[in-house]
Amino acid sequence: MALDYDRKDCFIVEGKLALPYSYFAGRVGSTFITTLRDKKKIMGVKCPVCNKVYLPPRQTCERDLTDIRDNWVEVQPAGEVVNFTVVRYDDKHLPRKAPFVMALIKLDGADTPIVHILDGIAPEEVKIGMKVEAVFSSSPTNTILDIAHFAPKKPEKAFVSERTPAGAKGEEPVISQEEKLLKERRKAMSKKVIITAALAGAATMKNQNPSVPYTPQEFAEEAYKCYKAGAAMVHVHAREDNGMPTHDHKRIKDTHDAIKEKCPDIIVNLSSAVGMGKTPEQRISQIVYVKPEMASLNTNTMNFSIIDRKTGKIFIDFVFENTFTMLQDFGKAMEENGVKPEVEVYDLGGLDNWFLIAKQGFFTKPYNFNFVWGVAGGMAFRPDMFMVLKNALPEDSNFTTCGVGIEQFPAVTMSCLVGGHMRVGLEDNIRIPTGELAKGSWEQVEWAVRIAESLGREPATPDEAREIMGLRKR
Amino acid sequence: MQKRVAICAVAQIKNDPNLWYARFQNMLLECFEGIMSQTNVTFDMEKGIRTVITCSDDVWDARTISNNGMTDVVGAHFRGEEKMAQESLNGLGYAMASILSGHDDVVLFMGHMKESQPESRNMCTNLAFDPFYCRPLGMDFVNVNAMQARAYMEKAKITEEHLAKVVVRARKNASKNPFARENDPVSEEDVMKSPLLADPLRQLHYYPSTDWAFGMLLCSEERAKEFTDKPVWITGYASCMDSYFLGDKDLTSNFSLKNATERALKKAGIKDIKKDIQLFELCDHAAYQLPMWAEGIGLVNDGYGGRWVDDGGMDEFNVNVSGGMLNGNPLLLGGAARAIECFYQLRGEAGERQVKGAKRALAQSTYGAAGQHQAVVIFEV
Repeated sequence: MALDYDRKDCFIVEGKLALPYSYFAGRVGSTFITTLRDKKKIMGVKCPVCNKVYLPPRQTCERDLTDIRDNWVEVQPAGEVVNFTVVRYDDKHLPRKAPFVMALIKLDGADTPIVHILDGIAPEEVKIGMKVEAVFSSSPTNTILDIAHFAPKKPEKAFVSERTPAGAKGEEPVISQEEKLLKERRKAMSKKVIITAALAGAATMKNQNPSVPYTPQEFAEEAYKCYKAGAAMVHVHAREDNGMPTHDHKRIKDTHDAIKEKCPDIIVNLSSAVGMGKTPEQRISQIVYVKPEMASLNTNTMNFSIIDRKTGKIFIDFVFENTFTMLQDFGKAMEENGVKPEVEVYDLGGLDNWFLIAKQGFFTKPYNFNFVWGVAGGMAFRPDMFMVLKNALPEDSNFTTCGVGIEQFPAVTMSCLVGGHMRVGLEDNIRIPTGELAKGSWEQVEWAVRIAESLGREPATPDEAREIMGLRKR
Repeated sequence: MQKRVAICAVAQIKNDPNLWYARFQNMLLECFEGIMSQTNVTFDMEKGIRTVITCSDDVWDARTISNNGMTDVVGAHFRGEEKMAQESLNGLGYAMASILSGHDDVVLFMGHMKESQPESRNMCTNLAFDPFYCRPLGMDFVNVNAMQARAYMEKAKITEEHLAKVVVRARKNASKNPFARENDPVSEEDVMKSPLLADPLRQLHYYPSTDWAFGMLLCSEERAKEFTDKPVWITGYASCMDSYFLGDKDLTSNFSLKNATERALKKAGIKDIKKDIQLFELCDHAAYQLPMWAEGIGLVNDGYGGRWVDDGGMDEFNVNVSGGMLNGNPLLLGGAARAIECFYQLRGEAGERQVKGAKRALAQSTYGAAGQHQAVVIFEV
């Protein structure tokens, strides 16, 4: 029955339909999108006859044909999930890599649910009826994605700073969009702390701590445990199966992807140092290839050695090369590829090096710095030096910190105390503060969470970390 | 009694996963020649075909005015030609309306679709959504249908076992249909273990990508005898469009299908579908839709789809003896495939799968996401 045609010498034409176009959103749609974009408000229209609040808004009530175009009402940026699916296939039209959650969400104050993406929760944990809230995009997209996605609503806590002053309900002062964003970001910064886990580094080996990951799978497992413990980001130096740090694009991408597969929410920050003896090309091309959300950017050429701390004996002497040209070229490559640099500051001179190159103007705000303590060749941790670095930062900066060996926990505690973020992990230290071997980077994350809690700060979710550090989610 | 329109002949090629070696023009030409040889109809401007209606879609054909690719092979040059870029059952309704209105009395109705052409079916259906509120979210027919599946399964107590039963039965029935897509037979366990596409839809719950083409010759009651001894009559047709935005409607209410069915039955003068209609062909893009559409046309009470599957309702009422859309027809053409099965059955030409004594049949089709647009046709001999 099938068509019995000759299949010899058949030529298949490969083509592609691609047509840029512009599309008038309509007068009602225009108001909706500009209000969403500029005021972060979600507006519906209410039919005065049947009292139904429509979202998306429209011109006419389809039930009673009433003209409702001017009857705007603000609906809440929070509501509940009324239906959902987990999209488990990948395709070019999809906004996320599978699996991701697409949900019908009924916002408080609206009668018609809207479809949107639900992030920040494992697919198997989504429940109909759960409360979610809108997470607004940090930069305008001019589409419905100005609501970047929805995320589970956090339990409301009464922070004194958030209470509305009595009788303060009136006209809000007029502030620009930029000012408002900045204000929001600062507010978030003041209480949320981003915990990063540096899972492996280039030098920590399994014989020092068996939980150091080598394979993509081990990285994924370790990252997932850190995420569960409270980390928003992992810092990664990919390894070969034998533990050697690698600049192999495929291995690095496999490692990156394995982490994102297991833990789609978490931020992956790749090293642009990679390991000893790598060429500048080997160090930056892998970043451009993988395009992680963030990558380390080193600021000065320095000794980066292994010295016995007790005897001063030199085990390995190595010069870590980071010339101005590299700082410039790596920084540009990252910014051009949407990879946010994490500027590694090993001493005050390194920060000043960054200031010089930043004059070229290609670094985008907010800037993110990491103060690194205890490298043999860098500076030892001193609280007064910490304050010098913090006070020297430019406006619109975030800072985190890490310390090698026993400097790890004092340094991160200080950072958390003075409003910065925290990096822990086996790259920097193989132990927990009791002196025992850490069961994994995640156990150090648990300690960091405890420090944060005792200082009145909450661990940031990956999305909150993105908001604070200005990352683009992938 | 109101006027009837006759279907005099149908022609089709076999549904196929990938007819890469056949142009859609070739596929249509096969069908066209089938119609010509069955009916001896001509293109005489006095007595022959003056109007041709074709059914195809620009995005899937990767060209605008997709009909322009094949008007020559279906004889549409130098006469009236209209294109239906929508479900083929709506095209059939359009052909019927052309005849009932007296606009013309003989209409050739042709359709084609090669789902194998685009890189991704879901990228095509993503374009069915508006560019602003919906498209950037990645909505497509699969993920939106998945949400309807979740809601309906909850309401009608549909289990994985029910869906597995529907899929296994579709493939079994299709194996007796020489024009059906050839699929591997599957067990209920295979279905329940098949990978999830978009929860709760699994791969085997969804109709497979298919290439196909068909043709039909329709004419007025008066002229039917010129072309056939065994006309099949269209006695009722109606369609209904539901709200566009997914959140505007109750996904399980079957609003548009109930509306279309009610109006089609009224036209056909049918009071009790269970008694008066012996065969039902439903456009099940996904397994959950078979019991859901059965509820929509009134074969089973609202919310009882699960129990209906358990009680053997699908076989009792001869639902989708062809294998259904679920076995594989291309999007757009599921309705024509349903209508063609009704045609064979009512003429007693359905071979191994013949339903004895079938006098009336109902074909249903749907287009858009989550059953937004519905059409129903009643046939009679």
